[in-house]
Amino acid sequence: MPLRTDCICRISEIHPALRLQSNGRNCDNHSLPQGSRDPFRRSSPKNSRLAVDPTRMTHPGFQLLLILTLAASSAIASEPARTVHVEICEQGLDDKDEWPKITPQPVESFTLPAVALDELPPKYVDDGIRGARPSPSLLRMTATVTVPEGKHRLLLRSRSAARLTLDDQLIVETPFPPKNGGDGSQPDSEHLEALDLGVGYRFAPGGEYERIADWQSHGTATPLKLELFVGGREGAKGRRVELGETVVAISLAGTTDWHLLTADGSMIPYTDAAWKRYKSHVSRMLTERSTAIRKELRARHDSYWNQRHDAAINWLKTTREEPIPAPIASLESSNPIDRFLAAKFVAVRSEYSKDRTDDLAIVDYFRDIKPLLESRCTECHSGPGAKAGLRLDSRSALHKGGDSGPAVVSGDAANSELIQRISSTDDETVMPPKGTRLTKDETALLSRWIQQGAVWPELPLVRSEFTAPCDDLTFLRRVMLDTVGMPPTADEARTFAADPSPDKHALWIDRLLDDPRWADHWMPLWQDLLAENPNILNPTLNNTGPFRWWLYESLLDDLPVDRMVTQLIQQRGDAAAGGPAGFGLASQNDSPFAAKGTILSAAFLGVEMKCARCHDSPTGSAKQEQLFQFGAMLAAASLVVPKTSSVDADKLHAGGRQALIQVTLKPGSKVEGDWPFPQFADVELAHDLEQPRDRLAALLTVPQNERFAQVVANRVWARFMGRGIVEPLDNWEKGTPTHPELLRWLGREFVRGGYQIKPLARLILNSAAYQRAVDVNLRTVDPLYAAPEPRRLLAEQVVDSLIAATGKPLRVEPLCLDLNGRRDTANSIHLGTPHRAWMLASLSNERDRPSLSLPRLQALTDVLEALGWRGARQDPTSTRDTAPNALQPAILANGVLTGWLTRLSSDHPLTQLAIDARTPESLVEDLFLRLLTRPPTSEERQRYTVYLTAGFQSRVMEPGTVQPTTTAHVVPKFVTWTNHLLPESNTAKQQVALEAQRGDPPSPRLGPAWRQRCEDVIWALINSPEMLYRP
Amino acid sequence: MTDPQLNRRDFLTLTAATAAASAVPWAHADSAHVPLGKAEHCIFVWLGGGMAQIDTFDPKPLGDATSKPSRPGSYYKSIETAVPGVRVTEHLARTARVMDRVTAVRTVNHRVIDEHAFATNLVHTGRMISGNVVYPSIGSIIAHQRGAANPSVPAYMLIGYPNVSRGPGFLGAKSGFVYLTDTTSGPAGFTRPEDVPPDRAAARSRLLEPLQNRFPEGSSPADYRAAQADALRLAGPEFMRNFRLEEESSTLRQRYGGEFGQRCLLARRLVQSGARFIEVSHNLNFINGTGWDSHNTGQLHLHGLIQELDTALSALIEDLEHQRMLDKTLIVVATEFGRPAAFDSGGGRGHQGTSFSLVLAGGGLKHQGAYGATDDNCKLPVENPVSIPDFHATIHAALGINPRMELLDGSRPVPITDGGVPITKLFG
Repeated sequence: MPLRTDCICRISEIHPALRLQSNGRNCDNHSLPQGSRDPFRRSSPKNSRLAVDPTRMTHPGFQLLLILTLAASSAIASEPARTVHVEICEQGLDDKDEWPKITPQPVESFTLPAVALDELPPKYVDDGIRGARPSPSLLRMTATVTVPEGKHRLLLRSRSAARLTLDDQLIVETPFPPKNGGDGSQPDSEHLEALDLGVGYRFAPGGEYERIADWQSHGTATPLKLELFVGGREGAKGRRVELGETVVAISLAGTTDWHLLTADGSMIPYTDAAWKRYKSHVSRMLTERSTAIRKELRARHDSYWNQRHDAAINWLKTTREEPIPAPIASLESSNPIDRFLAAKFVAVRSEYSKDRTDDLAIVDYFRDIKPLLESRCTECHSGPGAKAGLRLDSRSALHKGGDSGPAVVSGDAANSELIQRISSTDDETVMPPKGTRLTKDETALLSRWIQQGAVWPELPLVRSEFTAPCDDLTFLRRVMLDTVGMPPTADEARTFAADPSPDKHALWIDRLLDDPRWADHWMPLWQDLLAENPNILNPTLNNTGPFRWWLYESLLDDLPVDRMVTQLIQQRGDAAAGGPAGFGLASQNDSPFAAKGTILSAAFLGVEMKCARCHDSPTGSAKQEQLFQFGAMLAAASLVVPKTSSVDADKLHAGGRQALIQVTLKPGSKVEGDWPFPQFADVELAHDLEQPRDRLAALLTVPQNERFAQVVANRVWARFMGRGIVEPLDNWEKGTPTHPELLRWLGREFVRGGYQIKPLARLILNSAAYQRAVDVNLRTVDPLYAAPEPRRLLAEQVVDSLIAATGKPLRVEPLCLDLNGRRDTANSIHLGTPHRAWMLASLSNERDRPSLSLPRLQALTDVLEALGWRGARQDPTSTRDTAPNALQPAILANGVLTGWLTRLSSDHPLTQLAIDARTPESLVEDLFLRLLTRPPTSEERQRYTVYLTAGFQSRVMEPGTVQPTTTAHVVPKFVTWTNHLLPESNTAKQQVALEAQRGDPPSPRLGPAWRQRCEDVIWALINSPEMLYRP
Repeated sequence: MTDPQLNRRDFLTLTAATAAASAVPWAHADSAHVPLGKAEHCIFVWLGGGMAQIDTFDPKPLGDATSKPSRPGSYYKSIETAVPGVRVTEHLARTARVMDRVTAVRTVNHRVIDEHAFATNLVHTGRMISGNVVYPSIGSIIAHQRGAANPSVPAYMLIGYPNVSRGPGFLGAKSGFVYLTDTTSGPAGFTRPEDVPPDRAAARSRLLEPLQNRFPEGSSPADYRAAQADALRLAGPEFMRNFRLEEESSTLRQRYGGEFGQRCLLARRLVQSGARFIEVSHNLNFINGTGWDSHNTGQLHLHGLIQELDTALSALIEDLEHQRMLDKTLIVVATEFGRPAAFDSGGGRGHQGTSFSLVLAGGGLKHQGAYGATDDNCKLPVENPVSIPDFHATIHAALGINPRMELLDGSRPVPITDGGVPITKLFG
């Protein structure tokens, strides 16, 4: 039978828009109190109350039961349903591997085109977060099938126990899998090889039981029922409630073909290609369904959040607005941001015009002194905890001096204490107290600077003029990399360039802010910030749950940040399924919640408390007790200071000189939860919240906590502008805002925009400052934003861009080492099959077994890690390592991924582009636009055109002369945890590694010599430094 | 702002510069009492899974895995070695003959037994997980401190799979490894695909030129261009010929044995070329199924694995000695934990961290054959216990690195070892 490519499309036409129905068990006993009080009145914080106890609206025992049905199905009840009805049952399964005697009731349902499904939709609880299904759960598919009369063969594939009945007759079943999938030492050879259904037909991906049975059809409508167990008991948490490829396929009498069994009689071949289309259709449908469910669940809490946001707006009204500076003639001023920036720029420039000089004999503070102070002095001598009261982080503080008087006497280096201390030969007084002394040159430089008057301008004037707006294509590439994490397609680039409308920049910004890829692009920031660190096997290295899924869906749904942070702190949902509960895990950590406290305080308050894990911060304000109080609120329990995170007294005093650090909480001390940051929010604001986590969430996110809004706004600003208004982003004690008024204004705009990132992003992206042309010679971000600098892209942006721009379909393994789901959820998770770089995670299992390698994913992580991505995020970070090293260009030049993207294989879209090209020149133009979003320069055009001209006319092989490529019909070996100790599993994975390294064969449509030339051009574009830098 | 000159050669030479800068010990680091050796290189053999010390370097009277109930003890007979009084298993016969150049440290101990990754991390970093600092592996620390002996090769190479424990932690990517998964595949990133012979590579480089030349000297993308030049050089013949094991005589190659032995031979070649630290993983688990993680039936063919180790290790010691490099090259045989004297229900052994053996050879140390003594079931040290920080301190000291020196995680000082004290007896 010829492949019917139309059937999937037809099926999707049968399916009208999905409608969400609730089964009526609404949460009326948890309805939200309606109040008109303004809880955030600034005038009387003592009387302020959060209107609602958030725990009342997210009661943990409260589970929504949602039934999703087809709009049409209830209307035409008389006709047999032409779809497969799927029900998920969670209750009524007893504690044994036995079929339930009483039919369990469904809690969710949906429909499918065929009796075939390989993913169970996530379960959503509470405020639309992922929860756990009981393991095992039961899946039931029912349909009415009409099959021509005859004796047919039926195939059942299922990971776990399943039974198929037709006309209430048991036709075929699969067994309950054996217990103890734990140690892999009892290999289950049944699953090593898939059943061979004949040439062209699909091998089971692995781990499924496969059974074939004969069935006599009478040609009439026949009721079908397939029931199967999903998950099962194993270890402490049970197996993952996850399907394998669950399929009932049919081979009609007298044929050898296999098709999926459908309810409407359509024929969907069970081949790799048709399955891919079917799978993506079902996946899309289930994703839409999940989105609708989340929306519905979240809507139930909207009134509470609307109330809070209304109160926030009222609070804004009662507090001082930040005035926007007057426009400055000749400088762009339509966007408030530009007016703030212009005001500061003009002020600094005028300061410079007085005493600026390019004379190298004159010591320049920013060029010569600041780097020196920062590398040797300001670690201790800055911020409120500065040693000896001396701060060297501002002009005024320097002159004011510390406990022993002024550090500097302008114009008199010899009498400046700073110089005396750094040149002292006395171990008791010399600075710095530890480490190497300053060199003679460094001391001389400081002396000269003081001698010349210790001139310290407010900010460096890197450029005295703004650069012009960047050109259209540069803007498009930049804004797409910054919003969706990948460059425009060639068509998008052409369309944008040709668009004459004056407001096209703003229109595209709006369009990109609505693009779902926005969520993908923001994932790395959140994963870094919150140290998301799942491990696919035996998590023991400070691992968290995979709360990436919660992050992703929050970003996808535009959840306001205050609401996100509240969910994060409440840690509800299921840790293994991807709920925010996973944030609370820290395997093998001696004080998980102290560690989490350091993450949250740095992420959302700009307070660095890492030091306070073991001792008071030597140079900051963070005290041990504050961290443990904060952690105890997050833990919702008292915390005990562990013995393993302290510093022994003998170590403290090993040096002789006064110890730099103080241990103020002895190991074993018990600390109760308490809000340690009264300077940011008055604890009274959360007076009427009982649960410590709710109190903590509220105190962090109320508008009165201006620090929170500003820290988040500063992070958004840094994401687009390259640096924060305050640096470091996570330690505000060590930095001074460059534009304090703008910072305050942005914080308030963030609150005004309902704590959503996109309104803030829209403001920044539309500013002239964002859209200026790069000054390629800038090596760091200009704090006055006169021009952007060439900025290294994140590893994820590079990899996603390369894959998107070449268009080569990505074929990688699922990110899982327990593909048949035999292990305990606590020890093995499945992170899906990555299609964006953020979806990857550490592949390491510290076992060095070839059978546990994932060679195709390794091709991606090799590139990512060389470029600064961390597969394991044991600690949070706000900055990535962007320094160049030889491994980066090496892996991009010779690595496996580049091999895949460069090779002009049959499924590579650039193969078709090369075949269709009119001239070498037009091909070069197309390739440049596609990969670099720009036309080639004349030199580039010339060189590449010449290179592609040789053999161009005869490059395409005539169809008649082309040998069709035949893929050898080899049954693949299935390797996973349960059989990984078999020697043949090692051999099989080594073979996979070899094939990954070789890549797909080249397309026979192009003659080899010219094809290689074209590949060389693609290789060069991939390896262009432009691929790594934001334009 | 970074100095472009330094930045340009980050991967290979900044490490050396950093080492020079931080070679002065901190004021309170009491270096006077730390013995420092003169080794220049380290070959760190990793036996993933947990080598059973009782069946290798710390033999005890024979047990019986098959009797009911089973009787704890060694699975194999023991033999005399070149060091009187020091015995090892009969399957280490070749190593036994050179045991005077070896010290089996029999009393290494930690409290972590339940999971390989956790213990592997501890033995590689010398620290417990904190969630606030990501500690560097010993290979990264040594690469960071000493740089490569020859600036045109990487300081830290790994023959095995990349993993978290082997990573550079807070030292950053420049202190990371270049890896290859086996001796035939070549190092990832520096091995050109099969269909890119030198002339095609040259054509590609010419095509890349105009794209590189868009950026002015001194700009950040120009730094990347310099890194590209470094990468190109490393992918060239000078460095890549180290991987051509066929240049060695077939007699020598045979002496080293199978794939693991070839990895050791490659490590020797890399040492000669100037690499500072090479981790060689030995766990192909083809021989006995489980590799060194010899639970259950993994015990049955464990001797095959031990013999493979014996062949390669003894060949490496003798070859280095022949090349007059043994005193300059410290060989470490490490594993995440040991295994108990008692057998499990399947006739194999579980995990044991309370006492186990890690082995040192060469490196100019004053070798003893064995150091430390354990009880009858080699469960606990009875004499000279050695903590993981002590063991690390011994390796660092052998390479001339003060184990008390502090590294910087951002601004936070972190001592190289957590209070580790080198085994004084091994230093002359």
